[in-house]
Amino acid sequence: MRKCATLAAGAAVLALAFAGTANAQPKTNMLHQWATGSDAAAIAKLGEMFTAAGGVWEQTAIAGHTANTLAKLRADVVAGNAPPAVQLKGPEIAEWNATGGTANLDELAAEEKWDEVVAPELLPVMKPTGNWVAAPMNIHRINWIWANKSVLDAAGITELPKTWADFNADCEKVIAIGKTCLAHMSADWTDATTFEVVVYGQDIDLFRKAFVEGDIDALRSPGMVKAFEQMRLMVSKYMDPAIAGRDYDTASNMMANGDAAFFIMGDWEIGVLLAAGFKPGEDILCGQAPTDWGQAGFILNSDSVVFFKQKDPDYIEGQKLLASTILSPEFQTIFNQAKGSIPARLDVDLSSGFNPCQQVSQKDLQASIAAGTLVRSMAHNMTVLQKYRGAMMETITEFVNSPDMSPEEAANVMADAVEAQM
Amino acid sequence: MSETIPMAPPAPQRKGRLRDRAATWLPIAVLGPSLFATFVYVFVFTGWTLYISLSNSSLLPSYEFVGFEHYASLWENRRWNVAYTNLFIFSVLYVIGTMVVGLLLAILIDQRVRAESVWRTIYLYPLAVSFVVTGTVWSWLYSPTSGIEFLVRGLGFESFTFAWTTSRELALYAIVLTGVWQASGFAMALFLAGLRSVDQDLIKAAQIDGASMFRIYRRIMIPAIGPIFIAVLVVLLQFAIKTFDLAIALTGGGPGIATTFPAIYVYDLMFQRGQIAEGAAAAIMILLALAVVLVPYSLWRVWRRRFELQI
Amino acid sequence: MTAVAAYDPLATAGAWRRSRAKIGVYVVLGIFAAWYLLPLFVVILNSFRDLPEIAENGLIALPRSFSFSAWGEAWSSFCVGGTCEGMQRNFYNSLMMTIPATIISTAFGAVNGYILSKWRFRGSEWLFGAMTLGVFMPGQIALMPWAFILGNLGLTNTISGLVLIHVVQGISFTTLFCRNYYLSIPDDLIKAARIDGAGFWRIFRRIILPLSPPILIVTVIWQFTGIWNEFLYAVVFSSGRGQPITAALIALSTNGTNVRTYDVMSAAVLIGALPPLLIYFFGGRYFIRGLTQGAIK
Repeated sequence: MRKCATLAAGAAVLALAFAGTANAQPKTNMLHQWATGSDAAAIAKLGEMFTAAGGVWEQTAIAGHTANTLAKLRADVVAGNAPPAVQLKGPEIAEWNATGGTANLDELAAEEKWDEVVAPELLPVMKPTGNWVAAPMNIHRINWIWANKSVLDAAGITELPKTWADFNADCEKVIAIGKTCLAHMSADWTDATTFEVVVYGQDIDLFRKAFVEGDIDALRSPGMVKAFEQMRLMVSKYMDPAIAGRDYDTASNMMANGDAAFFIMGDWEIGVLLAAGFKPGEDILCGQAPTDWGQAGFILNSDSVVFFKQKDPDYIEGQKLLASTILSPEFQTIFNQAKGSIPARLDVDLSSGFNPCQQVSQKDLQASIAAGTLVRSMAHNMTVLQKYRGAMMETITEFVNSPDMSPEEAANVMADAVEAQM
Repeated sequence: MSETIPMAPPAPQRKGRLRDRAATWLPIAVLGPSLFATFVYVFVFTGWTLYISLSNSSLLPSYEFVGFEHYASLWENRRWNVAYTNLFIFSVLYVIGTMVVGLLLAILIDQRVRAESVWRTIYLYPLAVSFVVTGTVWSWLYSPTSGIEFLVRGLGFESFTFAWTTSRELALYAIVLTGVWQASGFAMALFLAGLRSVDQDLIKAAQIDGASMFRIYRRIMIPAIGPIFIAVLVVLLQFAIKTFDLAIALTGGGPGIATTFPAIYVYDLMFQRGQIAEGAAAAIMILLALAVVLVPYSLWRVWRRRFELQI
Repeated sequence: MTAVAAYDPLATAGAWRRSRAKIGVYVVLGIFAAWYLLPLFVVILNSFRDLPEIAENGLIALPRSFSFSAWGEAWSSFCVGGTCEGMQRNFYNSLMMTIPATIISTAFGAVNGYILSKWRFRGSEWLFGAMTLGVFMPGQIALMPWAFILGNLGLTNTISGLVLIHVVQGISFTTLFCRNYYLSIPDDLIKAARIDGAGFWRIFRRIILPLSPPILIVTVIWQFTGIWNEFLYAVVFSSGRGQPITAALIALSTNGTNVRTYDVMSAAVLIGALPPLLIYFFGGRYFIRGLTQGAIK
């Protein structure tokens, strides 16, 4: 009930704000890839708020491979019929901005003071050349470790592992009681997620050089070989042999039901656990994934909506209304409560309605900004161009699935693959 | 099976030249729109792709010429080489598997079995089902946690493993097996019709000579349907070269990059990664592979027609 | 085909060997039939089972629970693409796309085939060869050029745009089938009609069309299944509420981090496959006959 009240209140405010400016009927058609389940439910909320604020809402949801969404976007742009709003991320925002097709939201941003409230790390992403072209919906944290409390108790583990050495020691204890240590499902994005968490935890400078700047020497360096060694240890010993072809929810349930102790995964896991009837923060522990450098750390991922230039005044008006809705504290609250992430606005109070893990996430974000350890995620397409990211992910997932590939070979192959794209 | 000889020019008519002219031009005019559309579809699209492969296109098509550099980087790419090798292995196994199963079923059905149309329908129905559906359902059956492995273990064979889609070495064969499942009914249908059209006198003569059934098939029936073999081969090969949806739905190209195919690679580069030029170069390589199949086939057809007309 | 009845290949052996061989034939046919039917049975059964029961007993098991709820959910209430209307809208969209595209491409194919077999002109063989190349074009190549063309025609994200694409791409198939089939119609028939003063269209209507049903059935089946099942263009060239059924199916089959609802997916898979399956079941016998007469000459 409270959600409904907030929603209605927010909608009313927005409706008032736009009543004066709009002779045109604000319309939109948002292109995104959240076709089913809780993701689709979260987007439906956006549609409800947009409609309540007087807009005409339409959406085009394209499931499956992200390539399908991007193929659709490219086809629409080539056809001279760019969609008014598209869910796009990271460096892609800059790439599309460079084609000159994106709309400029500076006026609205100035009016609503976006620069002051949006997390600073997101600003260069949303304004690649100084103009606002995108609206961030949330901040996901990638470097989470989830743990089943009863398994830890049975194995005699009293707290979540702080360093990778702790993690390995804990895993030995878990194996000793006959359980799998780390739940996992092998797909390019999950393998890359785990691997980037390892690299980040071992050597944050290496992460920046290799995964943010795409430096070839860093990709080939001994530090990278060391990270692959840790990864090999985890794949061959701490995970079970059936990781390939497993569903996400099966992997999540392995940990939640107590067949495995840990799960390294981003905070959308909160939404999955809640939907399956578990209580993250109570029976499922959450904490920062291991780091060997003893500070708060945060690997950031953010979903955002990019706006493309339109001719029809209805759609231009709709873009303003949509961007304003997305950045409203009301939407940021409702959307992120459902999704497990935290608001992209730093001024939203998380003390009520948010999960304890989400509250930790916001605190760690602030601490990480203060400590200078905040990075954006490579695995979730927030750093390098898709072609480099693709080359990195191919190598990582090949390594995970090839027991005979040595860590040195993997580092070299990854460096070569990225270099070949230059 | 043979082509008819083109008919003689229209017989002279009494009603005048206007009508004559109409008779010459009307067919061409009616054919025109289809010709134009197909010409654009086949040649303009291919030409455009060829040009894009030589340009510096990235996120969107661009027309600045840069030469063959994208072809060079394509062949340096590990995943492309995996994809091309996969295509080769897949095509060989898929075509042979489908033809062997199809021929076997055709010969068995040719034994005057009861309820023939029921059998035929059973073997043919997979052809009606989309690759998306086929891939989805078979991926359930291959899944070790819920499919065939789960079933057999439940029957008491605890050590039974059938986890093809999740094994790097075996995933490609899972795709082959599923491809054969889907296409062998098609091969069966064509082979069966071929067997039925073999000259009955030849067979009777052989029977009178006391030839065994095996011998009759091997020496008379199968050689007689040679042209059908070639046709089935060409159709299957072009299916194989275009393999896309099946692998996407069944394994998503994984585990790792083990079951990547050229068509998946093209799609990934052109649409996911914004490397349109290199994607176009890969597409041109697919067309070359198709040409390797089609050119000999066309030449063979031309040769056969000439040969038949002479005798 | 009638001559077949006179010949029984197994008649070459003695009675005992014959019946033993016959049993062998049925056993092998049965084994293959089991392999072919397994997926179909699994989906049909699972569409009537409850989800918890599937989770417990695996996907391949006899039902211990029975309900129609998965069908209802898949058809009218499953949430996909942001609306909870099930697949009924996608199903309708697919029909609106597939039926016109099938009819138009078949009509063009019949006329083209008629011209290329009975009204040949200088170079028509070459043109025919060039047209058949369209059969072999990989879909990924044509995607971007189509986007450009549809944009210029103002047909992006419309069902009409998809119909146009499928007609153009289908003409190669239908022309190939029809032309090869019409070759088997004796030219003397046409000659006689022309001497009697019949024109181009009259010959088509009075002689060619009445002889065409076998090949028209083949092209209709081929086109209908191909267009209905096509996925790439369906996703890229449609928008919002206009998406065809394959877009909804792919959404159901790749649902990321969500729990797999095998029961609803099974029902959805069956709904999505039903029209082409029905067409095969009813038209299968004509399909085989027409295919051999038309496709492989």
